[in-house]
Amino acid sequence: MPVNKPIQILLIEPSLLIAEGLTSLLNKQQMRFQVSTTDNLDNIELQLSKGNWHLLIINPALIQYNPKTMQSLKNRFDKLQCIALVYSYFDERILAKFDETISIYDTQNTIASKLEKLISKQPKESSNNSQEVLSERETDVLKLLATGLSNKEIADKLHISIHTVISHRKNITQKTGIKSVSGLTIYAVVQKIISTESIQL
Amino acid sequence: MNKAMPQVFSPEHKLSKLIQHNSDLLFMLQHFNIHLPLQDKTIANICAAQNISEKLFITIANLYNNNSLSPVTDLPFTDANTLLLFLKNSHVFYSEELYPKILDTIEAMAKVNTHKEMVLVQKFFIDYFNEVTEHLAYENKIVFPYVLSLLKQIENPKAPNQSNSNYTVSEYKEHHNDIEEKLIDLKNLLIKYLPEQDDQTIRRKLFFKLSKLESDLAIHSNIEDLLLIPLVAKMENYLKDARK
Repeated sequence: MPVNKPIQILLIEPSLLIAEGLTSLLNKQQMRFQVSTTDNLDNIELQLSKGNWHLLIINPALIQYNPKTMQSLKNRFDKLQCIALVYSYFDERILAKFDETISIYDTQNTIASKLEKLISKQPKESSNNSQEVLSERETDVLKLLATGLSNKEIADKLHISIHTVISHRKNITQKTGIKSVSGLTIYAVVQKIISTESIQL
Repeated sequence: MNKAMPQVFSPEHKLSKLIQHNSDLLFMLQHFNIHLPLQDKTIANICAAQNISEKLFITIANLYNNNSLSPVTDLPFTDANTLLLFLKNSHVFYSEELYPKILDTIEAMAKVNTHKEMVLVQKFFIDYFNEVTEHLAYENKIVFPYVLSLLKQIENPKAPNQSNSNYTVSEYKEHHNDIEEKLIDLKNLLIKYLPEQDDQTIRRKLFFKLSKLESDLAIHSNIEDLLLIPLVAKMENYLKDARK
């Protein structure tokens, strides 16, 4: 992760005092934390989908009685690391679901180093020298995609599962930066993967 | 971003100074129907003159500064009027100003760059423009009148309920698609792949225009998701309780 990018933290804490206190501690770090706060779980999925969040700090009391929320968040935002913010003793089985625990009695340095540790564990964003050349199979998929076939039709034609087609498409988009079929068609023409004659104008 | 930039806007801030720091706010002024020159007017002055609530103005201005991405759930119902006006003005701005200008720029680029891919780019953008027009028309014709009808019922509970449809805001949520996506595709084609032919100046121009549009559209959909949808959901709940 580039050093100059702030680390986006979402803090979910019902106590205003605690939320403001932790936010001001993290801002003091002169580090690269950028904290947003909310006091409940109501719009949490929407909010998480809006930004590029790295860490989620949450009071475990909020999820104690609906552990499924946590699991579904983890499934949907797989890069996100979750930290429990505890006031006092808390059931170990619940804390075990989190990647880390911070206590309101932790010092500023302890908190910062715990967060830093989690950040350094995160997978690096695709580095600049990564291969952007499409694999042979990806090129096959792109060819058929550009001629107007659906995922299902491509799967049948190449004798692969629809799931595999989708995963190839994901990789193509990641490598090219282009998501729409019409955009990918232009890419395929530029790269001479298909000719203009083979597409319907 | 400039360090002198206030972290959060406040009513005493002079609007002209804020625009010096973030010129994208000029788009916001258009959407609020605020005309230049601004003289030395503060946010409070301008809001009073235009009948905009300060809170709503500042909430939206913060979105332009990327300060907050939380759903705003405490707007009063009456702000729906301003919010709709803002969104409608942005629609006009997109469909009558930004999109046609981009289309002109693409056409101008196709005059110097005669590669066959340019024809595809033109078609790509025209198709995309049509999709966007359809999306905006849906909001203008279905969503906005629905919100206004809710507001009318709240203000005048004795009036008969005119909207006999079963439309709710959750349907709007589903209809919501990501209209910036193809702009990002086009930008990548311009900077990574499209073969060149004496087109660097116009290519840069096109790229900047696409970027401006993309960032305003992103804020636009944030306003819909974080402000409008929670407010309409609140209106629906209020009316449901009132009918009990």
